[in-house]
Amino acid sequence: MVRFDLFRSAKLLSILMASGLVLAVSSAAFAAEFPEKGKTIQMLVGFAAGGSTDVGARLMASGMEKELGTSVLVVNKPGASGQIAYTALTQAKPDGYTIGNTNFPSSVVSYLDPARKATYARKSFELLALHVIDPALFAVKADSPFKTLKDVVDAAKANPRKVKISTTGIQSDEAFAILQFQKMTGTQFAMVHFAQGVASAMTAFLGGKIDVLCANVGDLLSQFKSGEVRILGIMDDESSPFYPGVKTFEQQGYKLYNSSSRGFAAPAGTPKAVVDALSGAMKRVSASEDHKKRMADMGLTLRYMDPVQYNAYWSEYEKTLIELLPLTK
Amino acid sequence: MEALQNLLMGFTVALAPQNLLFAFLGSVLGTAIGVLPGVGPVAGVAMLIPLTFQMSPTGAIIMLTALFYGTQYGGTITSILLNVPGEAASAITCLDGYAMAKQGRAGVALSIAAIGSFVGGTIATIALVLAAGPLTRMALQFGPVEFFALIVLGLSLLMGLAGKSMVKALMMGIFGLILAMVGMDPVRGLPRFTFGRMEFMDGIGFVPVIMGLFGLAEILVNTEEKLTSVSVAKMSSLVPGKKEIGDSVGPILRGSVIGTLLGLVPGMTGSASSFLSYIAEKKVSKYPDRFGTGMIEGVAGPETANNAHANGALIPLFTLGIPASPTVAVIMGAFMMHGLIPGPFLFKEHADVAWGVIASFYVGNVILLILNLPLIGIWVKILKIPYGLLFAVIVAFMMVGAYSVSNSTFDILVMVLFGIVGYLLRKLDFPLAPIVLTLILGPLMERSLRTALDMSQGDFGIIFESPIAVVLLSLAAVILVAPAFRFFRKKTETLSGEEGA
Repeated sequence: MVRFDLFRSAKLLSILMASGLVLAVSSAAFAAEFPEKGKTIQMLVGFAAGGSTDVGARLMASGMEKELGTSVLVVNKPGASGQIAYTALTQAKPDGYTIGNTNFPSSVVSYLDPARKATYARKSFELLALHVIDPALFAVKADSPFKTLKDVVDAAKANPRKVKISTTGIQSDEAFAILQFQKMTGTQFAMVHFAQGVASAMTAFLGGKIDVLCANVGDLLSQFKSGEVRILGIMDDESSPFYPGVKTFEQQGYKLYNSSSRGFAAPAGTPKAVVDALSGAMKRVSASEDHKKRMADMGLTLRYMDPVQYNAYWSEYEKTLIELLPLTK
Repeated sequence: MEALQNLLMGFTVALAPQNLLFAFLGSVLGTAIGVLPGVGPVAGVAMLIPLTFQMSPTGAIIMLTALFYGTQYGGTITSILLNVPGEAASAITCLDGYAMAKQGRAGVALSIAAIGSFVGGTIATIALVLAAGPLTRMALQFGPVEFFALIVLGLSLLMGLAGKSMVKALMMGIFGLILAMVGMDPVRGLPRFTFGRMEFMDGIGFVPVIMGLFGLAEILVNTEEKLTSVSVAKMSSLVPGKKEIGDSVGPILRGSVIGTLLGLVPGMTGSASSFLSYIAEKKVSKYPDRFGTGMIEGVAGPETANNAHANGALIPLFTLGIPASPTVAVIMGAFMMHGLIPGPFLFKEHADVAWGVIASFYVGNVILLILNLPLIGIWVKILKIPYGLLFAVIVAFMMVGAYSVSNSTFDILVMVLFGIVGYLLRKLDFPLAPIVLTLILGPLMERSLRTALDMSQGDFGIIFESPIAVVLLSLAAVILVAPAFRFFRKKTETLSGEEGA
């Protein structure tokens, strides 16, 4: 009896060990094969088609298709300032066939703010790459009496809560930028929130209803070219190639760096080999001349960061937001 | 005139064989997408963008814009034939268009709608060519304060949709306003009435609600009766008669103006234009009570307005580089993907593209007219298809359409829910149109008021500082109060009559 059982359990054990070995080998092989030919990678974008996030993501997707040899399909899941797409991304199967775009500040705000009841946290994202940093800026109309940032600060000091400045929402990157600026300069503006987007803010601005437009570099290309706006300053550590001659905030004495940035992530738990394949592809796309030209044509400031750098950037950004978030309530 | 010279140059671009082909393709696709209930221009344009990567920028934009305004032609068809809106902006056409179909006048309705759409689109494009600058400057005068006043005026016209029972219309109007409150508070950013669902954070999706209330409900109501096919009346001539053409001239002209002007105002949707056109027609008509029974004006006006709106909404894109609506934003994205930045600078840097595209709007509208008129004979044959088969297919398309708005299965649930709600409301004889009006205008009104109050930091006085707003609000007050005067006048007349007798 005993001998029979031993024999059976030895057989069982060896079968188990063999299958274990096969699985280990095949999963390594599976990862090495990523992506399988013909299998589509889905890129979830939490903002509407045609917007700057979507357009940048589509360019990256088409670049990745050539690098990885399989189709990369952009799927727009707009709503709740990106939260719907972030939720879908973090709940997707972590096999590398679903990736998504992660924006600042919307991705961080959505899990930091308890009122948003997010089902994910920072650790739910496996970062792949930072793609675009779109620095924030202040602009006025060409016929505005404000010629420099200092003029704006002086006016705000003399008329607290009277100088009207636009944002794209209470927790938008513009709102955070203005809150930091107010703290830095001891001023108070009248923040006017245009939650439908920068287009409605621009309409009000061009119609003279708003004194200062707070927007991002990618938003004003058309108006800058036609001479309708005067950009007072850009919140970046270097001047923008799209706006020659425009100073940064730092150059004018205000050490303020703020931007809306866009990167990509996979759901946490995606195997390392797959993550490396994806982030490697993104790195190569970002370095290619064709991609750089297309991004420049669209006014998107390409600033690549690999996962390690992106993680560090995320931590820093999270700290800033944790400080500023209570001020938005 | 310089503009005309440039336009002629644009025509040489637009009439080049491959661009003609693209305009044709876009028109066909647009009509098809418009016909399919629920599937809208945003989905269509977004789907095509990657395919246009390989094309020349001019060709790509011509095709995408043709698709965009083409959907406003196709959306009419199911509205009139089946009382199921193909497009959110065609929902109001269901009211009189379907009534006409039941009387055997579907062909006439479709013809007038196609002609009106053509006129509307063309007039809006003429406005773009001749008066883009001044029109845009005028539109820019509409900041949040003026916008709020305009919406209040629009809401006051709600009385015009009353129909048989004013009380029921008002109840439905309030219901629409309640629905409009769902979502994130526009100022504090906190969710309201969202039942903890993040899908409700931007409000209850408008397209799924319309498809449910009008489309699904219609199908549900019809399943109760043993209909074999839709139209029982004999089909009269497909061509509109002299009287019908004569009756349509006014609505078409008015619809063109309303659509073009509202299209200029960022934030206004095509549905708002078509609804307001319907109300306007009812107000100026000699027989307002007959609306809903098959008045051609109720088809001519809205159908013209929604096309004028679509073409008019492209004006701010060219003059300011600003998209007036989410759909136009997708087209703007298409421009950017091809390395073109829409706006006044486009005319300097790529004049051939800019004018080529503008000329293609004329060409596209002509193509669409030629495409749609002869097809009417084929479309009306749809009425002969057995009901069961036809509606199964339509429900399938509506499911796809509801999903395609945001790639969300949740929207399908919303549509089904509102289909049931719409069915119940119809059984109880409540009018559906007021819900849609307040559902559209409610959020616009709240947002613009809150933004205006942001600007004034809480001071309501800002409303009275704007002459435009004061005028609009006074108009609204007059419209609201006028019926009371009529009531008192009648009373005094009766009294003096009695005294005299």
